[in-house]
Amino acid sequence: MKHQISTLEETQKLIAAERILLIAGDEAVLAKLPKGRWVGGSTPYFMTPGKGGMVSRDSLFVSDITDAVATASIKKYTADSLPQVYKDCPDNGFSYIIIPALSSAHMAFALNAPNYESFGFNPLIGWIAAVHLDDLDKVKPKVFNGETGEAIEDGAIVLHAALPPGKVAEIGIINPFQQGPGDTLTFEQDGFSAADVLVNGQKQNFAEYMMKVASERDDSNEALVEGQKRNLDEYMKEKNLVTKLQLPLVADYYGALVNISFFNRIDKDKGVQFYAPVFKGVKYKLAAPLPDYVGAFAKLLDAEKVQEENILFSCNCVLNYLYSNLENKKTASFVGPVAFGEIAYQLVNQTLTYLQIK
Amino acid sequence: MQVPAATNQAWSDIITAKKTYALKFLAAKILLGRLIASVNLDPSPDNVQACAAQLQGLFAKNTAIPSAKEDLATIFG
Repeated sequence: MKHQISTLEETQKLIAAERILLIAGDEAVLAKLPKGRWVGGSTPYFMTPGKGGMVSRDSLFVSDITDAVATASIKKYTADSLPQVYKDCPDNGFSYIIIPALSSAHMAFALNAPNYESFGFNPLIGWIAAVHLDDLDKVKPKVFNGETGEAIEDGAIVLHAALPPGKVAEIGIINPFQQGPGDTLTFEQDGFSAADVLVNGQKQNFAEYMMKVASERDDSNEALVEGQKRNLDEYMKEKNLVTKLQLPLVADYYGALVNISFFNRIDKDKGVQFYAPVFKGVKYKLAAPLPDYVGAFAKLLDAEKVQEENILFSCNCVLNYLYSNLENKKTASFVGPVAFGEIAYQLVNQTLTYLQIK
Repeated sequence: MQVPAATNQAWSDIITAKKTYALKFLAAKILLGRLIASVNLDPSPDNVQACAAQLQGLFAKNTAIPSAKEDLATIFG
């Protein structure tokens, strides 16, 4: 597998050579690519092999997977046809999915994927397409079907791949967050937002609870944002994002820690919104503070023993990018798009996800 | 290895948390998180058996994946 930051012209040449490509980049650049054997999603944020974290509206992040797969087919899904996605994956293969953020397909997948038929029967890896944070209210994230040239604002694009005999695909996640020692939080229904929460079994207004938690925290810090040192609290306020709630909710799924990130400002009347849904019956805790993301990540990486040459795809979360100040910093051999959500069988947040071919 | 049938008691014991294991296969852990929550809300025998069948089906389809193989060895020896 070859992963690289490419110019439009370099990528056009790869497409002309009929390479099978996973592409990420700004919508305007993706729209200029010719038809071919590729799928794409919008984001201007990347973890790159050379510079580490970077923002670019001109460059494309390109993974050439031609030599790693036996066959590949591209299929578009709607929110209604997404329940077929796990069934459509070929045996001894994997599926790579991109969904535009905040679309009905995003919501449907996030809420229902664990209940889709054949969940987990084959690896499903992918990401939620993004936009530059300056464009949050102006531009919609998009995914692209390279075979047809179609740009999709609502739906999903999936590349289903079969592997050569003797090879297997395996998904991993690296989540530096741990559950904190505080209250156990549960919810009475599934959803991307919650008006109420059960705090150690006692029902409370969730926004009031979180405002109290936020007022007790002192986790403001400085970060390098597009080359400028910024107070992260001020920057997030400008972008109308949550301040002082940088730490996600964390659920323990039989030893796999799954994050739910906070989205937008907390409003006492409208409740608390998330980047991924909370589920009824699952126990959550607020994450423990993580002062050194890169250091914590490096320790976990050593434990994972992942071989760089085996990584077909990886992606990280824009919240990790911002909160952990990843611009110009490297997360070892894990490179790829920085997204508004990551998919490792199901939607996860603030988590590095990857697919290995062994 | 041959994956034991869904009626094998070991699957139900995992679903009902009578026995716990340190598993490695990510899909199994994610599925188990949901299935155990489901059984906590509805501990009826029918639901336990349906959840056990889902877990068994997941492992049966993933016997080639190294972490799933390790988990089967952990559960069934």
